[in-house]
Amino acid sequence: MNEADRLRAAMRATESTAHAPLDLAAVVREGRRLRRRRRLAGTGAAGLVLAVAVAVPVALRPDGPPPQRPAEAITTGSVATPTTAPTASATPDARATPGSTDRKPVGTVVSSGIRYGDQERVFYFVPIGVPELPGVKIGLVAGRRDADGRLTPDLLINDVEGRDRHAGFHQIGYDQQGDRQVLPPVPTFGYFVGPATRIVGTVDGRQVPAELARWSVDPGVVIFWFEPTVLTPGVRLDGIVALDKRGERL
Amino acid sequence: MARADAEFVEFARAASGRLVHAAFLMTGDRHEAEDAAQTALARTYASWSRIHGDDAYRYARSVLVNHLVDRWRRPIREYPTEELPEQRDDDVADAVATRRWLFAILGTLSPRERAIVVLRYYFDLPEAQVADELGVSVGTVKSTSSRALEKLRGVGAEAPQVHGTRR
Repeated sequence: MNEADRLRAAMRATESTAHAPLDLAAVVREGRRLRRRRRLAGTGAAGLVLAVAVAVPVALRPDGPPPQRPAEAITTGSVATPTTAPTASATPDARATPGSTDRKPVGTVVSSGIRYGDQERVFYFVPIGVPELPGVKIGLVAGRRDADGRLTPDLLINDVEGRDRHAGFHQIGYDQQGDRQVLPPVPTFGYFVGPATRIVGTVDGRQVPAELARWSVDPGVVIFWFEPTVLTPGVRLDGIVALDKRGERL
Repeated sequence: MARADAEFVEFARAASGRLVHAAFLMTGDRHEAEDAAQTALARTYASWSRIHGDDAYRYARSVLVNHLVDRWRRPIREYPTEELPEQRDDDVADAVATRRWLFAILGTLSPRERAIVVLRYYFDLPEAQVADELGVSVGTVKSTSSRALEKLRGVGAEAPQVHGTRR
C-alpha cells in the first residue's frame, strides 16, 4: 500500500458515525435568507444593512495621525456608482458602533468612489489596543466621509488572534444585520498582506474582482473591497484568492 | 413543505456526513467542521433551483472546501478525541492510532494542500476536477499533491495498518 492508498484508507477509516446531525431547519432558514438577498441584488434594490463591529472590544488609542489625502486605487476596475440614496439616520446599538469612538486614521484614507448622496465610502486603518492580543495594533474601518471631510465609521474589523501583519488574508468585513436596514450597506472589505495585484472572490459560482489600494504606511498591506454592484453587501463569499503580478496565486 | 424543500432536505441528509468529515479533515475541529458544512448546505439551498443531482453535491463540496481554504487560513489547531462507536478494545486502539497518524500528516500541510488532499483522496476526484473546484490549474494540483505526498513520506514512516473502513 503506497502513501496515497494509506491516506485514502485512513481518511475513510476515521469517518465517524457518531457526529450529531446538522440542524437542517437552520440550514433552510439561512439558505432562504441568502436567496432573498440575492434576489434583492438582482432587482437592483440594494438593501440598507446595519453594519456591526467585529469580534473583540478594542481600546481607543487616539494618538494616530490626522487623515491624509485619498490613495489611488491600484486596479483599473470600474468606477463605483451610487448604490443607495442617502440613508435615514438612526442610532445603532452601542456595541455595533465603533463610530461612537473618535479614532484617528493611521495613514491614508482610501476613497472607494462609492457615494451615498454627499457622502463617500472610505476605508482606513485605526490604532487599536487589545490586551489579550499584543500582536494586533490596527483595525480596518469602513466609514463614510462627508463633503466637509468628517469621517463616520460604520464597521471596524480586526484580527482576533495572532499578528495583524501576517502574510495572507485577515478578517473580512460583511454587513451582518440582515433585514435591519438602517445604515448604508457596507461593501465586503478586508486587507491582505503580500504582493497582491489582483484579488478575486467567488460567490455562487461566479468570480467577482475586488478593488485594491495599498496602505500608505505599509505598501505590503493591500486594502480591498467589492463594489456593491458586483457583490451584494452581506452576501458571504464562497472563496477568495490573491494573485501576484504574474497571475500566480499567493 | 414544498417539493423542492423536501428534495433539498433529502439531499442534505445524505450529503452531510461526508461534508462534515471532509471539513473535519481540513480543520481538525469537529464543531468548526459542522459549522462549515452547515454554511455550505445553506448556500446550496440558496441556489437549489438551478442545481440538481450530482451538481448539488459538487456545488456543496466546492463551497465547503473553498470556504475553509480561504476563510480559515490557519493551521489545524488540535487533534481532538472523537467519540468513537462502541468497538472491541483492539479496534479502538487501531482507530485512535490511525486518527493520530492521519492528523499528524494533515497538520504538516497548508490549508490549500489539505484541500487538494481531501478532494483527491477522500472524495476520489480526478486532478482536473480538483483543479476546477478549487479554481487552480491542473499543474498546481499535481505539484501540490506531489509535495503533500512527499510530506507524508516524511512523517508516515510509522503509519499504522488500516484494516478496512467503516463505510
